[in-house]
Amino acid sequence: MTHAFAATGIDIEAALARCAAGDEAALRSIYEAEAGRMLGVALRLLRRRALAEEAVHDAFVQVWRAARTFDPARGSGRTWIYAILRNRALNILRDETRSDLAADPVGEEVASEEEDPESVVARLSDADALKRCLQGLEPRRRTAIVLAYVHGLSHGELAGRLSIPLGTIKAWIRRGLLSLKECLG
Amino acid sequence: MSASTEREALAAEYVLGLLSGEDRIAAEDLAATDTTFAALVEDWRARLSVMDASARPQDVDPALWARIAGSLRHVAQDVPATATAGRRTQTMRPATSRPGLWSHLGFWRGAGLVGALASLVLAVGLAVQTQRALRTPVLVAVLVTDANEPAAVVNAFADGRTELVPLNAIAVPEGRALEIWTLWDRQVGPRSVGLIDRARSTRLKLQDLPLGPNQLFEITLEPAGGSPIGRPTGPILMKGLTSQAL
Repeated sequence: MTHAFAATGIDIEAALARCAAGDEAALRSIYEAEAGRMLGVALRLLRRRALAEEAVHDAFVQVWRAARTFDPARGSGRTWIYAILRNRALNILRDETRSDLAADPVGEEVASEEEDPESVVARLSDADALKRCLQGLEPRRRTAIVLAYVHGLSHGELAGRLSIPLGTIKAWIRRGLLSLKECLG
Repeated sequence: MSASTEREALAAEYVLGLLSGEDRIAAEDLAATDTTFAALVEDWRARLSVMDASARPQDVDPALWARIAGSLRHVAQDVPATATAGRRTQTMRPATSRPGLWSHLGFWRGAGLVGALASLVLAVGLAVQTQRALRTPVLVAVLVTDANEPAAVVNAFADGRTELVPLNAIAVPEGRALEIWTLWDRQVGPRSVGLIDRARSTRLKLQDLPLGPNQLFEITLEPAGGSPIGRPTGPILMKGLTSQAL
């Protein structure tokens, strides 16, 4: 499914089973294989390294806690781990009570550059149907979907960014997602 | 939009991260209680996860692992709910607990134990069923419960026949059935190989499916007609991996 992940090459499901048995070294092996990429995913969503590290930290603690509840019959271990990470990062991102989100970077910290949606799509593996299917979408729908997933933009932020009414952006994204599903089969 | 399209779009928006506040919580609750919706969510996760693979790996501060390891001291690992604990079914929400025999501690204590158990149970089974004494299976899987107790055996014979032999009665609520699944390739996903209304010996429909060592078999509790989505939706009652019989 995720060819681009193949290089890391550890058996996540087996490692999760060892985590479930209380083997901390197994969690460490997942960390060694995935933490760099996970930090990259979190950084794209949260823009700030300190927050991204917090999300990765929380995700690993949650993976450890919930390892016994992972069921390989329902999905891959890697998807499960990244879903935990994304949930955590989105919770941080959407938590309006946090003061450290909106503020400008503090001291030497620099907000990471936002990656252009087209270059995100271009870097997807050619072997993945998602790339072809995203490229088949009307460009602004593609942009909206990629910005939402990769950078965590909300409906409101997307409407502002693309200068489109909120209701229209919602309908666009829905139609885009349904075409995407049809294309992916 | 039809109701099913509405749910499909909701699952996609949830995975995309577009829901916030109450909508997000509502979607999480739905995923926790509605297995069809949970499956839609899981499908969207699988579809979109390719974009996560495109993130540029970052150099990680070596102190991060130390912080994680420190935090592990203060958390307890979740214990999966028992397979029979209520109707609150599997959720794709990663933080939620569900029966996870696959990851049960005892389940992984080593192939040796499973192998020994397989031989033992097989011996008992053969003694009881003397008329079968000459038909030795080539592959055996002992399916164990959440409590790590053997509850059924899957026997595969050289002529291609495969059977399930329960070792205990199983409580099956009204309107529900036991569905037997096998998983040989995660890319393909689990396939249903049998549906029974109560614990009884049954032939499994594996005709065109691959079968080899270390192949997962599991039994889940499903609606009487079988899972509506062709994949396990209910709690796992037991599971086990095939081993080569001696």
